[in-house]
Amino acid sequence: MTPLLEVRGLTKDFGGLRANNNISFSVQKGELLGLIGPNGAGKSTLFNCIAGVYQATDGKVFFDGRDITNLKPYEVSRLGVARTFQIFVASGDLSVLENIMVGSFLRTHSRGVARKRANEILEFMELKEHSEQWVSELPVAAQKRVAMATALATQPKILLLDEVAAGLNPTEIDQMMGLIRRIHYDMGVTVMLIEHVMELVMNLSHRVIVLDSGNIIAEGKPEEIKKNPEVIKAYLGERYVSQQQKGN
Amino acid sequence: METLRSIFDFSDFPRLDMAVFAMFCLFLFVFPLLPHTSFSMATMIQFLMFSLYGMGWNTIGGYGGQVDLGKAQYAGIGAYTTAVMLIRWNIPFWISAPTGMIFAIIWSFAIGYPLFRMRGHYFAIATIATSLVLLDIFEIWPLVGGAQGLELPLMKMPNFLYLQFRNDAYYYYVLLFLFFIGFFYINWFRKSRLGFQLRAIKDNEEVAQSLGINAHWCKIKAYAIATSFVAVVGSFHACYNFNIEPEDIMSLDLSILIAMMAMVGGAGSLWGPIIGAAVLVPLKNYLGSWLGGKAGLAGLDLVIYALIIMAIAAFEPKGIWGIVEKARRRKRT
Repeated sequence: MTPLLEVRGLTKDFGGLRANNNISFSVQKGELLGLIGPNGAGKSTLFNCIAGVYQATDGKVFFDGRDITNLKPYEVSRLGVARTFQIFVASGDLSVLENIMVGSFLRTHSRGVARKRANEILEFMELKEHSEQWVSELPVAAQKRVAMATALATQPKILLLDEVAAGLNPTEIDQMMGLIRRIHYDMGVTVMLIEHVMELVMNLSHRVIVLDSGNIIAEGKPEEIKKNPEVIKAYLGERYVSQQQKGN
Repeated sequence: METLRSIFDFSDFPRLDMAVFAMFCLFLFVFPLLPHTSFSMATMIQFLMFSLYGMGWNTIGGYGGQVDLGKAQYAGIGAYTTAVMLIRWNIPFWISAPTGMIFAIIWSFAIGYPLFRMRGHYFAIATIATSLVLLDIFEIWPLVGGAQGLELPLMKMPNFLYLQFRNDAYYYYVLLFLFFIGFFYINWFRKSRLGFQLRAIKDNEEVAQSLGINAHWCKIKAYAIATSFVAVVGSFHACYNFNIEPEDIMSLDLSILIAMMAMVGGAGSLWGPIIGAAVLVPLKNYLGSWLGGKAGLAGLDLVIYALIIMAIAAFEPKGIWGIVEKARRRKRT
């Protein structure tokens, strides 16, 4: 079976800095993949290369068997790759429902259809009560759900989530976890998530990829990743290591 | 059917707004029947013209957030198409106006395609430049009368097809008809797919692109819509004034005035351009004529104008309508 998303030897340079170095991995249809790594590891760059925001220096990206390397962001989105941003509102001039409609308008010209789909997703994402509010009036957790709802409204095959749990409290993280699970199971959307909140990644992901300084240093099941010495050194151990080395 | 409903659907505004607007419409309909001076009639016609200019500008400038300071070039294309077609081939307004609109749209694609590769201030400056270049071309182009401009022939009898009337009230009603077409079109537009996509582009182009929106193409489309409005009013201007000069109809002054209508009234809102025109046009005419009559005070109206713009820019970027909305929101919460 061809994978839904396949990245082959992807390299991205910013001037002299290599943000992604020869990265290869694939995502199967129906998978829930976690992407972790310390700050500056190149996670967001990788997302941006897949989504067409950045031009890859080298390597290829395939989606659904099609070469999507260096397509424009809106072309990638039309094929069925949706993503959220860390700070994300489609428009401050529009209500929550209307923001989600911006997403659903991708697949229809009819206002009525767009509205109906947006309403369905609104309900699914537990935003019904906020429908007529401005996004800026909402708490952070609800704003993140609006962002995800808008991306989902484009009817993607794969959803790339960029730190949707950052800044949330434990209750909100639980809710977010439930939602991602339902997006994955109920909607049948393949999900790939960048996350710093370990609890969420380790609980949700079928498979985790660890990036460090632009390289993949580990790949495997969450339990394996937790025990991997490379990962502990580069990522989980960072805190302890830095504490011990504070003296130098 | 859905489109038809959307055109006449104002349900997202409070009842009060619609009541005020209905009163205002009533006033617009009966104004020529009320006692008025020819100066106030001219002011009302200008109000309607600038409302329409502003509504057009508002599509790309307000909803799309692309500050365009070159709209006068399209008013010029509309006005000159109508004038040249009438003088050379005796073609009536109702044919030359749509033709002018098509010319203007073609020109807007040629201009818009490269210009929308630029963003923000660079785009604004580039629109000024293209407008001034076209102005210069028209000033030396014999077909359109060069710098002297064109004089429309006066017909023996008033004629609706050629938009030639002795009584300004007829011009007023023709323009009022165009005003309502424009108004209802914008009411549909702001809720349409393109209207939504433009607002996403205005706030964050990167996010908009990630939602599958081709920002460049959307801007070009909105720019063409804005252009159509301006070109038709330009055609009307030619028939109404009987005389057009490049320095007048294609000036930077006009471009800036067009942008100001929506900005002062409230960019990106349905009412903005109408409010802007209702405030600025009478202010310009009455203040100008009143101060112009006083020795040493001529030009002060422009100072007052500038102050209003600065105040808007500093305190409420969303214009007069923004102040109203803010007051409302404060009441609600």
